[in-house]
Amino acid sequence: MGLPVTPLETVLLPERIVDALGLEGYGVLGEFVAGLLAAFLVANIMLIMTAVAGPWAKRKIRARFTDAIAVNRVGPFGLLIIVADAVRLLSKEIIIPEGVDRPAWELAPIIVALSALLGFAVIPMGSGIHVADPEVGAVFVFAVASLSSVGLVMGGYASNNKYSMLGGLRAVAQNIAYEIPLILIAVSVVVFAGTLRMSEIVAVQAEPLILVAGIAIPSWFAIVNPFAFFLFLIANLAEVGRNPFDTPEAPNEIIAGYQTEYSGVYFVLFYLGEFIHIFLGGAIIATFFLGGPAGPVLPGFVWFLIKIWAIFLLTQWARSAVPRVRIDQLLDIGWKGLLVLSFLNLILTALIVGVIAA
Amino acid sequence: MSTLEHAPEGAVEVDPDEVVDRLGDRVIGRDEHVNAPAVIIRPDEVVDTLTVMRDEFGFDLLSCVTAEQFPDRYESIYHLKQYADPTTEFSIVVPTDRDHPQSQSAASVYETANWHEREAYDLIGIEYQDHPDLKRILLPDTWTGHPLTDDYNQDKPQVVAYEAHENPLLDHTEGAESDTILLNMGPHHPATHGVLHLKVTLDGEQVADVEPDIGYLHRCEEQMCQQGTYRHQIMPYPDRWDYASAGLINEWAYARAAEDLAEIEVPEYAQVIRTMGAELSRMAAHFLALGTFVLDVYGEFNALSMYAIRDREKVQKILEDLTGQRLMFNYLRLGGVAWDIPEPREEFFENVKKFTDEELPASMDEVHDLLTDNEIFQLRCVGTGVLEREVAKQYGAGGPVARASGIDTDLRRDDPYGIYDQLDWEVITDDAGDVYSRVLVRVREVEQSAKIVRQCVDLLEDWPEDEREIQSNVPRTLKPDPDRRVYRAVEGAKGELGIYIRADGTDKPGRFKIRSPCFCNLSTLPEMAEGEFIPDLIASLGSIDIILGEVDR
Amino acid sequence: MSSERIPDDVERTVQTKTRDARLGSGVDDRFNSRLRQAVGSSPFILTKFDKFMNWVRGSSMFMLQFGIACCSLEMIHALMIKHDVDRFGAGVPRASPRQADLIIVPGTIVSKFAPRMKRVYDQMPEPKFVVGMGSCTISGGPFQEGYNVVKGAEEVIPVDIHVPGCPPRPEALIYGIAKLQERVANGESSPVVVKPYELEQFGDLHRDEVIDQLADRIDEDSLAMRYNWGDSP
Repeated sequence: MGLPVTPLETVLLPERIVDALGLEGYGVLGEFVAGLLAAFLVANIMLIMTAVAGPWAKRKIRARFTDAIAVNRVGPFGLLIIVADAVRLLSKEIIIPEGVDRPAWELAPIIVALSALLGFAVIPMGSGIHVADPEVGAVFVFAVASLSSVGLVMGGYASNNKYSMLGGLRAVAQNIAYEIPLILIAVSVVVFAGTLRMSEIVAVQAEPLILVAGIAIPSWFAIVNPFAFFLFLIANLAEVGRNPFDTPEAPNEIIAGYQTEYSGVYFVLFYLGEFIHIFLGGAIIATFFLGGPAGPVLPGFVWFLIKIWAIFLLTQWARSAVPRVRIDQLLDIGWKGLLVLSFLNLILTALIVGVIAA
Repeated sequence: MSTLEHAPEGAVEVDPDEVVDRLGDRVIGRDEHVNAPAVIIRPDEVVDTLTVMRDEFGFDLLSCVTAEQFPDRYESIYHLKQYADPTTEFSIVVPTDRDHPQSQSAASVYETANWHEREAYDLIGIEYQDHPDLKRILLPDTWTGHPLTDDYNQDKPQVVAYEAHENPLLDHTEGAESDTILLNMGPHHPATHGVLHLKVTLDGEQVADVEPDIGYLHRCEEQMCQQGTYRHQIMPYPDRWDYASAGLINEWAYARAAEDLAEIEVPEYAQVIRTMGAELSRMAAHFLALGTFVLDVYGEFNALSMYAIRDREKVQKILEDLTGQRLMFNYLRLGGVAWDIPEPREEFFENVKKFTDEELPASMDEVHDLLTDNEIFQLRCVGTGVLEREVAKQYGAGGPVARASGIDTDLRRDDPYGIYDQLDWEVITDDAGDVYSRVLVRVREVEQSAKIVRQCVDLLEDWPEDEREIQSNVPRTLKPDPDRRVYRAVEGAKGELGIYIRADGTDKPGRFKIRSPCFCNLSTLPEMAEGEFIPDLIASLGSIDIILGEVDR
Repeated sequence: MSSERIPDDVERTVQTKTRDARLGSGVDDRFNSRLRQAVGSSPFILTKFDKFMNWVRGSSMFMLQFGIACCSLEMIHALMIKHDVDRFGAGVPRASPRQADLIIVPGTIVSKFAPRMKRVYDQMPEPKFVVGMGSCTISGGPFQEGYNVVKGAEEVIPVDIHVPGCPPRPEALIYGIAKLQERVANGESSPVVVKPYELEQFGDLHRDEVIDQLADRIDEDSLAMRYNWGDSP
């Protein structure tokens, strides 16, 4: 069913590493070492991006939207603030408040950061950077991404602080309300592509859709089904908790919610997790709707980065310009609006795909 | 030229003799304050008297409750007004025994008396009987003595043990059975706009009960003013009441009261400058209100709050040119202003005109684009935090809060001072009473203020050079006649800002009482927020636009 | 905190403790480590590391979103478009004290608020810095004679930099912050106050001379928050 898919001969990153380092002879151990190296590489790419985004790019983007300047004294364009901020945050004292639920309190930030990082394992980033390509890649990426809400509620509950508790509860309510539409929309893409394997979803989108003036427009799902793309963008904003859906954090209402009591390294982990989550959201959108790493002239990986930074820019734009909705309105929008629309989208897609297949 | 022929609707004519006749033997004497006739009544007849005044003579606004201590007695003065016509005033004076200062509480007649009487109890020590919750409001509970009394020893250290503050939640530990949680919001919280403490009882995300706890910025302003001389030493303090750049309006409030007290005339030219300065101040204050409100609803560092502060910066620049300071102007003097428009005058007027004619309309368009037309914003603000008209009256609300609830009141029009009655402008009102209308009223008021400023500039530009009298002749030391009392109010950025002064024959006031509009407006918060969600509570608080310096004084 | 300093610190009377702490002697060793004390003199690599860490702490600061009175308006202006203190890397406001390095005390402190401010300060993680903004945080400013006013922030928490003015212009505040950053980058900043919970933890430590001395000298009362305005400057 669906569009005809030519099976791709994808070479995954661990296999390349095995080749490059000559680890073939070591069997499973060699593959394990190669897998570790690949994961290390991808995680570091993401961490570097977060380091650029968190202390620097976010401030600079915000400054652009508000006619301000933002950091410019530390290093060229203020870039050294990245080093300063990161080292300073890591070197801060960790305060463990009285009455926190110790293991849960300490695990929460780790889960938040880790869950987002794990998702990148199955994302094809182009230029051969693709750690794993299981058949259920699409399921895996959503499953792992939603693990973060477990971390949020753990942090919120274990902090022994009412603001944190409210933030944690809000985070869970919000994630459940938006996870379902998010996945339903993704299902419509899967129905189109006829596969759950990420590399194949990307491959399907590489097919030319129509020819305009001699240029082949690829069948990116954002072009094939802009309605689903739009819905997904909204649901994604809620999923990563940015304006207008940043209610779990809402510094002016509940003082950064679940992060209220965290300082030092743990706070860094939360902060990191948040940004990696935004990037993961961007990566999912890029993979599902924007043809993954596809693009002319530049190498695939560069295109991939451009796409996820574009999504990042969108979240920051919304942050500068859009009010925060109330928690009950947020749930209304999720359950009564997005869910219905995403079902509609799914049914229509299924019908169309069925007709084509017939 | 006046376009403000306001026919006071529902205003009741009051003849003092008729009042005395009606009150009968409750009255034990009569007096005459500079602003209003006064009757002296027995301390056990307060409720009856005020009920009669409210229901039969139309006094629906209890402006202020002033408590004073005399060598032989205590006195509470209830300053009554009518919303429809604030020039119809009446004072009810309630003397009580020096040894046992006990008086009946008026809280059952006017809601606003609740907080006012708590303040009087806190600072002066009059005990109001049948008061629903008579406890300290500005000072900590552990405080001993009443600081504005003559036998208070200020040099005695007041020690508050750290343990007393160790865990504010200890007394409130709820049982496992309880469905609600108590959330302490503040005194350090990003959305309280300073140091306000809200004790919020939550049922899930819904607000079941709010109790504002104030006094975290009680800077003894009344004591400071009572220690200063009329002529020079008091004027710097008003700037610090409503410090959101509404300084000139505050100064005017003091100047108006003191000028009436000492019968000082103010030259017309100075009045024009005052009017212009006051409206610039109002614009700056409203810009700040807008900016901080947007912070509450949007989140930190959004474009609109930045733009609001940018515009405020422009107003501050003009005010700095005029007065020499950005925030604490100290520009008004009794009988005029400190100095004339800065030279070169043309440049100053050009700057003002550039702002009111070009920059302001552009940024107002931006505000409407980004804020009032924004659908998510409307979703958040329309229909939330509703303050009903009658409730607002009960609480003595004023300014944009009252006007957004459909109360057509503005002292600039109803009790004209300066040159407001010669200018062409409108009083903005809205009927909805919700968060949205409060914000909208403020935004529109900025436009009206710009209109007033523009007209003042025109007047000032054409003013003949030899008639630019900025100050009348005021004696170096002012000693108003003893026992002259005056209560005078101006329309502050937040509402009716009133000053009560009693002269005691020296060059310093015997009693200096500030009626703060924010104080009354803040007391309406529980009415707005109960039953709403936490974000609505935050939005309601933001839309009241409180300045803690003025709430706590 | 070095071992020589502590005894003096405890001996002082409660009212003047914070003030004297500010006046403490010479370059302080706020970020000193046990490792360094064990080594004795500072080896080259640690000096370089110190320099780096001081640069880091001086270049980047998250500030606490903390408004008290009039000065907080000028603080808002310093944060916003025209003045934009974020240029110096100090313009990220955090709502929670747990994530802040810098607390700007912008206004008059009164009896009811002083203990709350101390709480907020105590909740901030080390290393933390305080900028006192305006006359009120220096002496109580125009309200000094008030019955309810604490005569300066230093009655309550140690202040690194005072910015005078009523209120200081945003430029002045930015200058103050820049000065603080300069001081931190040069390794000069005022000493840390001992927090009650740290004192409790001494109980678990291996008891040595210093701890014994401390335990004798610490008097429960000295941990009390009190302010005595009769005695104030």
